[in-house]
Amino acid sequence: MGIILYYLRKLLSVIKNEVLVLPSRVVVALFFLFLLLLPLFTEDPYLLRILTLTSIFAILAASWDLLSGFTGQMNFGHALFFGVGAYGAAMLNKYAGIPPWSTIPLGALGAVLAGLVIGIPCLRLRGTYLALTTLAFPIILMGIVFAFPDLTGGELGISGIARLARSRVANYYIAVVVMLGLCTIMWKITDSNTGIIFHAIREDELAVRASGINTTRYKLLAFSLSGFFAGISGGLYAHFMRIAGPSTLEVSMSFQVVIWAIFGGVATIYGPVGAVFVLFPLMEVLRFWQDYRILMFACVVLLILLYMPDGLFRWLRDKTEKECPRCKIRNVAMRHTCRICTAQLD
Amino acid sequence: MTQPFLQIKDLTKNFGGLRAVNNVTFSMERDHILGLIGPNGAGKTTLLRLMTGILKPDGGSVRFMGKEIVGRKTWDIVNMGIACTFQNMRPFRRLPIIANVMVSCLSPRAMKRGEWVKRLGAKAMDALEFAGISDMALEKASTLSQGDLKRLEVARAVATEPDLLLLDEPFGGLSPAETDLMAKSIKRLHKGGRFGRLHSEGPAMIIVEHKLHWLMKIVDHIIVLNFGTLIASGTPDEIIKDPLVIEAYLGKGGI
Repeated sequence: MGIILYYLRKLLSVIKNEVLVLPSRVVVALFFLFLLLLPLFTEDPYLLRILTLTSIFAILAASWDLLSGFTGQMNFGHALFFGVGAYGAAMLNKYAGIPPWSTIPLGALGAVLAGLVIGIPCLRLRGTYLALTTLAFPIILMGIVFAFPDLTGGELGISGIARLARSRVANYYIAVVVMLGLCTIMWKITDSNTGIIFHAIREDELAVRASGINTTRYKLLAFSLSGFFAGISGGLYAHFMRIAGPSTLEVSMSFQVVIWAIFGGVATIYGPVGAVFVLFPLMEVLRFWQDYRILMFACVVLLILLYMPDGLFRWLRDKTEKECPRCKIRNVAMRHTCRICTAQLD
Repeated sequence: MTQPFLQIKDLTKNFGGLRAVNNVTFSMERDHILGLIGPNGAGKTTLLRLMTGILKPDGGSVRFMGKEIVGRKTWDIVNMGIACTFQNMRPFRRLPIIANVMVSCLSPRAMKRGEWVKRLGAKAMDALEFAGISDMALEKASTLSQGDLKRLEVARAVATEPDLLLLDEPFGGLSPAETDLMAKSIKRLHKGGRFGRLHSEGPAMIIVEHKLHWLMKIVDHIIVLNFGTLIASGTPDEIIKDPLVIEAYLGKGGI
């Protein structure tokens, strides 16, 4: 009992001293709570379905950010990882009868291999050249998919694969918990020593090499990690939709990810995740105006990027918080002195 | 027979039809500071880049502590003990200054040598302290002045704890007072000792510099390049009297 009380007190002190001090942290905590507690209040199938898909795509958007936002390896063919994860999981389930809890990680390992297949020839490329080369890979894979319809189902895809879980709520919880877990892992990676090297590679690769760091290894690591996380989201998608089709490899899917990431704020992890939670449901809301849906979507994205070029969530964060000029700790915008070093903030 | 610390033999590099480095041969000892001078476009920076693997030579060899380094990757060379700074500073602009140095501290060589210090940030701070910019550790590198960026370059190179340090115009863009301070720092680093948690044995150095007045004060030996060819080699006193060097800098009328 004493130990429970000790940890409870510790938790309360962490909430008070670490979470409640910054609006962004409060929002993240509420977001976690909202997602985890929502099924207790409603089991509306439409809402749960939208949020399940949103969670799956949030993993995809964050994985793009890890590779292109943090490491600067501009990937315009991120659908490749998603497609490989989806097709890998679907084929393993359909032809080998393996259950979803192992097809999804195995499909993700396939996506890691795809990451290495892209990463190795692209090591010498940068910027536009890299972007255009990566764009080609999902198109090539789609050609392969159409070339072997007996195995891949051709244009119809592989359908009738096992459900992620039996109930909608279980599906929802699997997607949400995996999303929260993987996004936290991605955020921790970017916050680690490896993350510093990823940042530095984006800034100036030659200078990183001259600092004694094997940039090839780190770039391949970024491709593999990003591939793994995107592959997980692909596998989840395939088992949730019970189909893995060529739409997972479409160019529009690759660009959708880029739009999400830029909309939310590149090189943040939380930005792309938040952006998916805004834009994906927005597309559903705009269904009432079916003919102009895409136009409206484009207008929203353009307006946000026009006035918030660093992304919506970075803009919101900068509006609600300010950095201490002395210790660089973030504070609520309303404060006049830093909460740590008491330096003047104005 | 003992191997020279650094031995460069017949090193050649062409850029299309231009021969930027032409059969350069020299060697240096472990305890020396070597000055590398020459007029603009003489091939000094190219020579440094050949030594760090950033550029691949068309011919010749570079042996460092008995090992051939031509053909090795830049990071391998740095981990063998050769660190360099860039003439045009290349900071990671959007990262804090301390993170700029932490990247060097994360190199395998620095990690191995600093095993007894687990705290990466502390090691990076010591390198910044040596360079004299530790008070700005948390600022973004984009906020630094030219002079401070030079210091950051030196801090990043020092953080790998090199045996040979290649400094490309370390006094460029510095005021006379800053230049004096940097010259003293370089001398102090060469002497060796402990700089906080960094344990320097005093690296050998090759310094490319145009401010000859300051350079002469700190180097033991100078080599002079002109049009990619080594035209003179000797002590600072010998070099300033060498007619070929005077001609390279001032033209024939200068003699």
